[in-house]
Amino acid sequence: MSGRGEVRFEDIIKMHGEFAALKGVNFEIKPGEFFALLGPSGSGKSTTLRILAGLDAPTAGHVYIDGKDVTSVDARDRDIAMVFQSYALYPHMTVADNIAFPLEMANMPRAKIGPAVVDAARKVKIDHLLDRKPGQLSGGQQQRCALARAIVRKARLFLLDEPLSNLDAKLRLETRAELKKLQRSLGVTAVYVTHDQEEAMTLADRMAVFMAGEIQQVGTPAEVFAKPNSIEIAGFIGNPPMNLLPARYINGDITIGGRWLKTTAQLAGERDVIVGLRPSALRIVADGINGKVDLIEDLGDSAILDIDCSGTQIRARVNHDNVPREGDAIAIAARPQDIHLFDPTTRKRL
Amino acid sequence: MAPTTDMAAAAAAAIVPNDFSRVLAQRERRFAAALLAPAFLALLATTTFPLMFLVWTSAFRMDLAMPFANGFVGFENYQALLTDERFWSSLLLSLVYTASTVVLQVVIGLALALLVMDMKRGQGWFRLIAILPVVLSPAVVGMIWRTFMLAPEFGIVDFLAINAGIGSKNWLGDPLLAMVSVIAIHTWQWTPFAFMVLLASLAALPEDIYEAARLDRATAWQRFRRITLPLLRPAIVMVIIMRTMVALTAFAAIFTVTAGGPGTATEILNLYAYRKSFTELSIGYGSALAVALLIVTVIISGVLFALRRAK
Repeated sequence: MSGRGEVRFEDIIKMHGEFAALKGVNFEIKPGEFFALLGPSGSGKSTTLRILAGLDAPTAGHVYIDGKDVTSVDARDRDIAMVFQSYALYPHMTVADNIAFPLEMANMPRAKIGPAVVDAARKVKIDHLLDRKPGQLSGGQQQRCALARAIVRKARLFLLDEPLSNLDAKLRLETRAELKKLQRSLGVTAVYVTHDQEEAMTLADRMAVFMAGEIQQVGTPAEVFAKPNSIEIAGFIGNPPMNLLPARYINGDITIGGRWLKTTAQLAGERDVIVGLRPSALRIVADGINGKVDLIEDLGDSAILDIDCSGTQIRARVNHDNVPREGDAIAIAARPQDIHLFDPTTRKRL
Repeated sequence: MAPTTDMAAAAAAAIVPNDFSRVLAQRERRFAAALLAPAFLALLATTTFPLMFLVWTSAFRMDLAMPFANGFVGFENYQALLTDERFWSSLLLSLVYTASTVVLQVVIGLALALLVMDMKRGQGWFRLIAILPVVLSPAVVGMIWRTFMLAPEFGIVDFLAINAGIGSKNWLGDPLLAMVSVIAIHTWQWTPFAFMVLLASLAALPEDIYEAARLDRATAWQRFRRITLPLLRPAIVMVIIMRTMVALTAFAAIFTVTAGGPGTATEILNLYAYRKSFTELSIGYGSALAVALLIVTVIISGVLFALRRAK
């Protein structure tokens, strides 16, 4: 299916009255890619998806699908399938009729619709529920029905708007894995909107991180995790998020809590910086930043420590076999390559 | 022996609270009955009793013009009714009047509701203006139409007809036009009701399924046929049932506009019963006609309710 489902957004702006929901969004999605739009609520990711689907028109800018400008093309004619957060199943139709609907609208002959419906239902394991109405299904089954309706027609783009957010935690994990397999086996380009960074990290080949109507960073999940390019992303990606501490930088070294730490930065001179430290990159050492353990959150296989380093709160994630006790005095340190530096004024990565 | 007495005591203990709650429930029921009684009696006196009296009267010959012939006649009135051509023609008129007004109300009401749903501004005003005819008394509506709208030369409708080149028509004097006029009047007054009900149901339909249908490549007509109409079905059926029952017993508007005329051109069954009873003073036969109308209404409503339950 190569050459199908290539997407390009060019300077897309969306205004709601005075409010700019999107302030000039640019990105590209390659054919066959699983692309996630990640961001907190209100950041513009759903608006982006709706503009891609053709449900909303952008105020300015252009949308290209497979090289063609589709900015003014109606949703009907874009050949896009979508799974809605609410599932948007037709309540008066059976599961089979719901799945058959896009095929009927495409004037597929009746004889071909039946097998296609059964095939799609089997792929998402609801072929035993074809006679039910949506109201008689559980949340997970409704979600699968919506998925089946989206995959039954071989659309060139497959959009998913927070499809897992209404499922319980266990089902969400199961469905997440199945979704990835399904996308791989269909070889279709998928665009996935989520506010859950874990979903984006695990599912996406690449992702765009939205903040306040702008894309802050585009890259593979590993890239974004390893090199967040702004303080906002550093504070958003990772669980628990990065520790962000104001510090003084002098010729490659920084000082936190009266201790000097080496960094890999090559900048000369002296300046104020924001230091980013992932909780998982911190380790307990004999000689480092001194602190007192305030609180321990035990996660079973690991634990998260809230450490008070002479007034500065730092969170660290440690292995289960060397968890200190609350109130213990410990020292922590990080390797130079694990220290991220940000400019406090531009809020960008240094 | 001992275990048996124990069991008996236990049983007695179990019964006591049971008994007590029964007493309480009984007391509550009596109090409820006392509260309901006035309304129940009033209803009985104003609806059930007159209805029974009507049925009773229909078994008498009660002719105020020929009181010497009065007396119990059993089913004779109903036998006469079956061979009465005027009864059958008024029944037919009732059915035509009901069917055409109900269909027009639903079709126009639905079309208006769909149009207004797409209005971005002024929906509130439109609703307010649209509801005005409903709050008018049918008798007033009839007077308005007879004078302002349909009066030859001066009425708005006739004025428009003249200007449109159709020429002045005798809207209430021509048998066919009179029937069309009374149907139009009823439709004018009651379409807003259908409109309001259907608009409310339309507004309650979820937006996202229409977006899903657009992405599923359904045209506007397909979205209407396959999604809107089936989802509105319960509301449409409800409107049909309510409007049918009212149209079958329509009276005031027709009475003030044509009084059933010219001749018997707009004499629906209800008007025939009225004319027979109070113009020709043949109360017994008039009652039989009213009972016949009641039976027709019950049968049609029954069929409609059965259809509603069918799906």
